[in-house]
Amino acid sequence: MSPPGGADAASVTDDLRAFLASATGRDELLRLPPGTALFGTAVGLDSLTGTLLLREIHRRFGVDVAGEDLNLDSLATLGTLAAFVAERARPQDGP
Amino acid sequence: MRPLRTGSVPDGSTVSQCETEMPGNVLPTRNAVPSGDTVDVWWFDTRAVAVTPAGLAGLDRGELGRAESLLFPADRHRYQVAHMMLRQVLAGYTGTAPGQLELGRERCPQCGSLSGKPVVLPGPAPAGARPVPSFSLAHSGDMVVIAIAGHAVGADVEQDSARCVCSLAGDLHPDDTAWVTGLDGEPERHRAILTCWVRAEAALKCTGQGIGHGLGGFSVRPGQSAALAVNGCTVRQLAAPPRYRAAVALAGGATAVCVRKGS
Repeated sequence: MSPPGGADAASVTDDLRAFLASATGRDELLRLPPGTALFGTAVGLDSLTGTLLLREIHRRFGVDVAGEDLNLDSLATLGTLAAFVAERARPQDGP
Repeated sequence: MRPLRTGSVPDGSTVSQCETEMPGNVLPTRNAVPSGDTVDVWWFDTRAVAVTPAGLAGLDRGELGRAESLLFPADRHRYQVAHMMLRQVLAGYTGTAPGQLELGRERCPQCGSLSGKPVVLPGPAPAGARPVPSFSLAHSGDMVVIAIAGHAVGADVEQDSARCVCSLAGDLHPDDTAWVTGLDGEPERHRAILTCWVRAEAALKCTGQGIGHGLGGFSVRPGQSAALAVNGCTVRQLAAPPRYRAAVALAGGATAVCVRKGS
């Protein structure tokens, strides 16, 4: 992922795609449409990869998705997750 | 796929496992539900199983809808194969045709939602009906594992991640986190984290909670004994294909694991 620095939803979306492609070894995830449901349907992310994604978001953007969004509505799609993260992103230390 | 071998597993314990090879896609039509402390574990490599119209005809509306919702053909294939094989395996134990089996979910014992343990719903019992087995399905990467037992059972398999998984150490029980972080070398830590993950997830699938409520409530790190008693289950590491970790948990005690080779 690239450092966030004033994150906008589009760049966060790209970062999340890149992370998922890298974590799973699946290049097709680089082309995920923003409306894609990440969990349960559409791409069939397993629980371990989903948890890795949330930990990476916390590390890179300082956003604890599970802690800040108790209903987990932000996890509906790639786009809703990226918007949630972009709104709350706080620059973190580098990788 | 090749049959799995009995032998040393990553945690250093040795699990007694029987092996049965099944030719091609032909599964036996008559299997006895394992008794007492035995679990039957079926492995399938989804790359070696063809999706057939007959197989798809056995899936229910929910399964077909889920398969249809998957964006990528490879995900769809894996999902279809996993559920076709689950129904074929269950048909062998119940004597009910794959498409006639009704699958449902119990309530989660922790929150009461209908996200608990998947079960075979008992239909009207015809003469000579066989006992309904407990089952657990898991898939990761190309591999599918299906555990069958006479009482509650849970199974999990995870493919090694292409990325560092050290961030998951904090999700484990504090004792396991300390054990993992104290290991020398990242590959060793990654293996240990995934080993703990599959053991915890197998135990939580056995009780029906799943990992939605967290998986750090109890320690699952491998010890000196082959079996670990935790959360009312006995957890055993399974011998898994290269780059995979897997575990099975059985309510009460699991002293024998019978590995069945699918296709």
